[in-house]
Amino acid sequence: MKLSISKNVHLVEPGDFEPTDHWYPRVLNSNIHPLVAYFLNLSHEQIAERYHRLHPQSDLETLMEILRYQPQYFRWAGTDLMHVTNHEGNRKLTVIETNSCPSGQKSMPLLDLNVEQGGYKRLIEQTFKPMVNAHQMEGALAVIYDKNPMENIGYAATVADVFGENVYLAKFDKADIDPPVKFEDGVMFIKNEKEEWVQIRASFRYVTQEPWTRLPEKTKTLILNPIEACLAGGRNKEIASAAYDVFNEKYKDKGIGIFTPKTFRKVKYAELQGHFDRLGGSMVIKVPDSNAGQGVYTVISQSELDHAMSEIDPNDEYLIQELIHSNFSRNLDPTSAWYHVGTIPDSKGRSFAFDLRLMMHATEEGIRPLAVYSRRSRFPLNQELPEDMNSWEVYGTNLSIKGEDGWTYADERLMLFDIRNFGQLGLGIDELIKGFVQSTMAVYAIDQNAIKSYGNSAIKDYINH
Amino acid sequence: MNNKVLIVEDDVVFCKILTKFLTKNNYEVLDAQNGKDAIELMEMNKFAFAILDYRLPDMNGIEILEKLKTKNEEAKTILITRYGDQDVASKAIDKGADAFISKPINPDELLSVIKGL
Repeated sequence: MKLSISKNVHLVEPGDFEPTDHWYPRVLNSNIHPLVAYFLNLSHEQIAERYHRLHPQSDLETLMEILRYQPQYFRWAGTDLMHVTNHEGNRKLTVIETNSCPSGQKSMPLLDLNVEQGGYKRLIEQTFKPMVNAHQMEGALAVIYDKNPMENIGYAATVADVFGENVYLAKFDKADIDPPVKFEDGVMFIKNEKEEWVQIRASFRYVTQEPWTRLPEKTKTLILNPIEACLAGGRNKEIASAAYDVFNEKYKDKGIGIFTPKTFRKVKYAELQGHFDRLGGSMVIKVPDSNAGQGVYTVISQSELDHAMSEIDPNDEYLIQELIHSNFSRNLDPTSAWYHVGTIPDSKGRSFAFDLRLMMHATEEGIRPLAVYSRRSRFPLNQELPEDMNSWEVYGTNLSIKGEDGWTYADERLMLFDIRNFGQLGLGIDELIKGFVQSTMAVYAIDQNAIKSYGNSAIKDYINH
Repeated sequence: MNNKVLIVEDDVVFCKILTKFLTKNNYEVLDAQNGKDAIELMEMNKFAFAILDYRLPDMNGIEILEKLKTKNEEAKTILITRYGDQDVASKAIDKGADAFISKPINPDELLSVIKGL
């Protein structure tokens, strides 16, 4: 590796991949749970057949069509789901959000101990490489990012190994007034060691902070994922929610649908109080293009609503969702309320809310699961919340912590899908199947929305072959 | 033997990669992304080596070098300059830098420079 060939650009060379640099230390020493490994190896036919048995009203042929779908824009995605139950004990996996630059590789134990690059390699080899090979253009390869260096150096090193060529690793920060990445006529360029601009033919992209301020639409440089995937819902909760509604309407006769908490879109600031009252004194307020847990407020009291309203912009519109409840929620309509199933109680009897991050990628055979992990909340669901504590402590599961010197994470709440942690989640293979099918439907919905909004992608011809 | 190294560089990835590399080679590494933090680290530690980027958000590498020499005279200093920036390199040597190395940095080459000091 050549460090700092120009400001914020490194040149990653074949052979640079070091497993210890691209996984959290505890993941390096973990073993995948056999049930999770079994799930990751299920064929689409097995998944569809099982989902159909669990949901007899679902149309098997439509399920297969969705699992085999070839997204034109959204070919790598991560969905956050929650395991919920209602008053009848009907358990579901509900989609919370879908992300166009998902983290997760560093939290995923190896599926095959003989493949040391694990999910990094599967994504680059099965998704990125076929697209690049079909893309006729001169230029170098790149990874551009604004967060998560642990995974992005790993991706760059994997791209270098899989293609056998050097890869530009460039930080493309929102605040950088002199960034090392630029676009001209849809072509990406990156600064090299002589401060010259090098043309890029294809780039892996992990630019998450308002990426539309830096990435143009319809690029000639192939980008995984292109900005259209973000604009169509991969980085906007409002647009994603609308895309899910379109999907649900289209497939209601096929017995399938994307399940989300009850959602209200384009809610004006002045309407927040009314929604809070109508929902029984609890809700979740989301800034539509927020991410990493920033701009999401769980509200269970008037003081929390007042606090949230003091932090958000009165001129913006918000997404409101019904809260997924704990044991202590009051004033609920039992016919519509959903509750966290929570982790299996620990030795102290504590059960925590958790989410499930499912990373997927488009392969030759369709959409496949790639990595999976969970994050639990700080405070248990089954204890009264102390008065001075915010409800985010009970319901918030995001691990990202924004500090003065960048992003860090709360390791103690990361739940690996390994032999040690997975059993604590109380999930079985049927939940993983349900979660995967829900996630695939969400990806399908957002990709269809991208096609509707931006037309067919340049890779359409490639995926049709 | 003192094997403590200070890296002053505002590129976080650079710091991470070089820190891992030097740690594997039995150095104890502390890093700072700006001059202010670097000076704080100098107050609290005695370094054997300092690897200083020239371009930093709040001061330049030569200014940090001068501060370091007043606090920790024995510390060897390596200034990182831009590709082909000979003027800065000469100035750094005049001000007491023990070596300079131009970007791009190959970690193995940097290690050879450290071992040669």
